[in-house]
Amino acid sequence: MSMVRANGLSVHVEEVAPAEAVAGRHGAAPTAVLIHGLTTDTLASWYLTLAHPLAAAGLRVIMYDLRGHGHTERPPEGYALDDFVDDLTALLAALDVTGPIHLFGNSFGGTIAFGYAVRHPERVTAIAAIESSPPTAAWFEQVAQQLDHAAAYLPREHALAEIRAERGELASRRARTAREVLAGTSLVRDLPASRLPAEEVIAAIGCPVLWVYGGASPVVGLVPEARRLLPRARFVTVPGQRHSLLVDQPAAVRDIVLSWLREDCGLPPGQPGHTGLSGQDGRDQPSAPATTH
Amino acid sequence: MPVDRAVILAEVGEMLHAILDDAGVDGEITMATRFQDDLEMESIDVVSLAGRLQGRYGDAVNLAQLVAGLDLDSIRQLQVGQLVEHIAAALDRTEASGTPDTSVGTVDTSQGRAGTPA
Repeated sequence: MSMVRANGLSVHVEEVAPAEAVAGRHGAAPTAVLIHGLTTDTLASWYLTLAHPLAAAGLRVIMYDLRGHGHTERPPEGYALDDFVDDLTALLAALDVTGPIHLFGNSFGGTIAFGYAVRHPERVTAIAAIESSPPTAAWFEQVAQQLDHAAAYLPREHALAEIRAERGELASRRARTAREVLAGTSLVRDLPASRLPAEEVIAAIGCPVLWVYGGASPVVGLVPEARRLLPRARFVTVPGQRHSLLVDQPAAVRDIVLSWLREDCGLPPGQPGHTGLSGQDGRDQPSAPATTH
Repeated sequence: MPVDRAVILAEVGEMLHAILDDAGVDGEITMATRFQDDLEMESIDVVSLAGRLQGRYGDAVNLAQLVAGLDLDSIRQLQVGQLVEHIAAALDRTEASGTPDTSVGTVDTSQGRAGTPA
């Protein structure tokens, strides 16, 4: 674990080096930056799912905890979209990443990826977003409603016990983390007040874009809007899955992302898409069927 | 010489105490201790453990490989003993492939990479 100073914050960063056999064959390895979602999420969601498969495919993989989340510092203020984009910009400078980058975002992490791409279009060569949306008014309204609901409900005396009884210990612990983030920051106020990019700026993003959704998640309702803005993007839905698609179905997401990297982004084939050991002992999950549309 | 699982268990136990700051560690860590039910580990703690394991044993021990394909809930159900066996197997392979001086569960970090199995 390393802590990096960026935009005035101490930021928790994890890095996985590309597989030498792949990276060495094709010159400098492209850099992938993996961005997690809000309140309950941390870089662990990426580290334990796609980070190593992407490194095995030849990418230099960088993950970080967003401000207020995981092991990164939690300033009380500064939680609008532009703040998150400023953090990413400063972090890349601090890490001396100057070349083109592939951005991967889970939930609001995908929105940060698009926020970065509209401000630094020359830097971004590909965007993959899981259960996410571009920074549109409709999406920010949906996120704001969820944050409002959580901020009103979670501080109640019996909220965590109710969640534990209904959805188990893990859900209760995640709720406790969310409660801490919401109580200790201005996220609920700042995020809905974010300055959003104009639609034509989002539509001008020209790099390959992949959207992956869970078929049973409410976020899939935002697909028509995303498709209207970015008609050339690839959209894939994994049937029956919910908003926690990335951590619930890592093998399915991995397969979707790796074929997109090969087919749309020119990533060379020839390396197994995952780290190998899981296949040897037979515990790897079979991929769920997915629908491309 | 086969690696000593008791030594590995002690080393992993020290790492877990350091990561969890003793907050979630109730009593002795044994092979049967579960990451979630007994240690209350969050996924971000699993990431910290992965970093410490790699620093200690080198690339031969890769926690992310051990858990690849498992969902996060399954990772938390893992027992410390499963991790110790994974480390022992990796170190045995490292020794078999000819890395010098891998005595009794203690591999010098600088040499841990040398015998990494393909």
